[in-house]
Amino acid sequence: MNGFAGTDLAGTIATWVAAIATIAVWSYLVGARRIFVLMQHLLAGLATGYLVLLAIRDVMMPRLVLPLIQQPRDNGLLLLVLVPVGMLIAATWLPRRAMAPVSAILVGGIAAFALGGAVVGTILPQIAAALPAGRAPSGDLAGEVISLAITSLVLLAFLHGAPRGTVTTRAANVGRWLLVGGIGGWIGFLVVSRLSLLVDRIGFLLGDWLTVLR
Amino acid sequence: MTTSQPPVTTEERLAGLRRAAPVLLLLLALVVASLLSAGTASTAGLRLASPDRSRVDQVRQAIGNLPDNALVLIACDADLGTYPEIRAATRVAIDDLAAHGARLAIVSFTPEGRAIAAAERDRISRGGRIEPPADLGYVAGAEAGLVRSIASIVPAGAEGAVAEAIRERGGGIGAFDMVVIVSGSDISARSWVEQVGSRLPDLPLIGIAPTFLDPELEPYLRSGQLAGLLGTLRDGIAYTEAVSAGSATSPGPTPGPLPMLIGMLAAIGALAEAAFRRLVRRRGRHLRSGRAP
Repeated sequence: MNGFAGTDLAGTIATWVAAIATIAVWSYLVGARRIFVLMQHLLAGLATGYLVLLAIRDVMMPRLVLPLIQQPRDNGLLLLVLVPVGMLIAATWLPRRAMAPVSAILVGGIAAFALGGAVVGTILPQIAAALPAGRAPSGDLAGEVISLAITSLVLLAFLHGAPRGTVTTRAANVGRWLLVGGIGGWIGFLVVSRLSLLVDRIGFLLGDWLTVLR
Repeated sequence: MTTSQPPVTTEERLAGLRRAAPVLLLLLALVVASLLSAGTASTAGLRLASPDRSRVDQVRQAIGNLPDNALVLIACDADLGTYPEIRAATRVAIDDLAAHGARLAIVSFTPEGRAIAAAERDRISRGGRIEPPADLGYVAGAEAGLVRSIASIVPAGAEGAVAEAIRERGGGIGAFDMVVIVSGSDISARSWVEQVGSRLPDLPLIGIAPTFLDPELEPYLRSGQLAGLLGTLRDGIAYTEAVSAGSATSPGPTPGPLPMLIGMLAAIGALAEAAFRRLVRRRGRHLRSGRAP
């Protein structure tokens, strides 16, 4: 039992709907494309409805509408926010020049958070943690040298178009294969994640729905 | 003209079934394997739980070091597509924290995470064994929302002892003694380390993540930016077994070792088949061009 649906009538209906939806999606395997497309539309519709509800109930109402209604004087800045929000909604009908500043603020803000966080939270602490300063040479040092070599080779693989000699070209090829190997390894991790989902769905059908695993 | 239509359709259907046969056989094998596993953690000597308990010990130690009545935030941002893998570990972690007397609150920064958080709160309420975590709702804005939550995370309408305790301690993420991050692909422990960890370096962050995020998160564990990480299915099951041992509560089903083994063998088989086909095609090309392969 995955525990999400209760044992009451609502829970039983939810289990049946989930089981039928799972089998309907799997029906694509035997060529029942119409049922699969229907399920896709159902998913898209439900997801859109859920997102709209979430946006209105958990974001717009408590963070925008209610503060403006209850304490309009203290939340004057929110009125300014309404302008870019409205412009983003009406982006299709507005001229590009008018939209450019709003889009720039949006993209710039996202990039600033991502880049700032990556530098301060990942690159600098990871470099600091990798430096062998204050430690006796050990197996870690060998690991760090290997990491540096691999990083250099992979970086070389990105040097497209630059003038290169035979050694650099071969090194770049090694870097490319290391990159492919890394991506392959990551896909292996992804397969485990997806396989867990498949096994869980089978467990759901056998346990929660057919109750043969109980 | 029209009479030739049905046989063609039947042939097409048969061809379709033939194409689908390997996948259907795999599904059948997984069903049989699931029935054989039937909820037991080991099947014929197979064990999915990781024998290396260092990560489990790290997480348990971090939870054990919490002060009395600690405030712990569960940041639930898992994906619907990967949550089954970490569901048991997440539930056991919540139980473990509750058993240590922690006061829990739950928040989400992704819509999918919010749906899972609401379902888990509902499940805990139905179970009635422990108090459901205080609901801090959904915070929009992804990473910007994370940063804003450092100053204020409690919604204006939130009531209850936990919400009041958070407000008394400043009302932001800093009010918590620990954060357990249930990771997904959009907002993961990495986002927390980058946005929150760099601003609140003394706040212990524990990550529970699906396997595909493990390579991304492991460096943070090694550098000490994460206080603990359950980043693979095997670690999650080892943690589940360690905490659930001697406990009457059940975190729900975990994937059995036999279906996982069969699935992995099928994946390796598919990979080998693709590589073999490519090799044959390449050899054929070389033979046609008159060169040695």
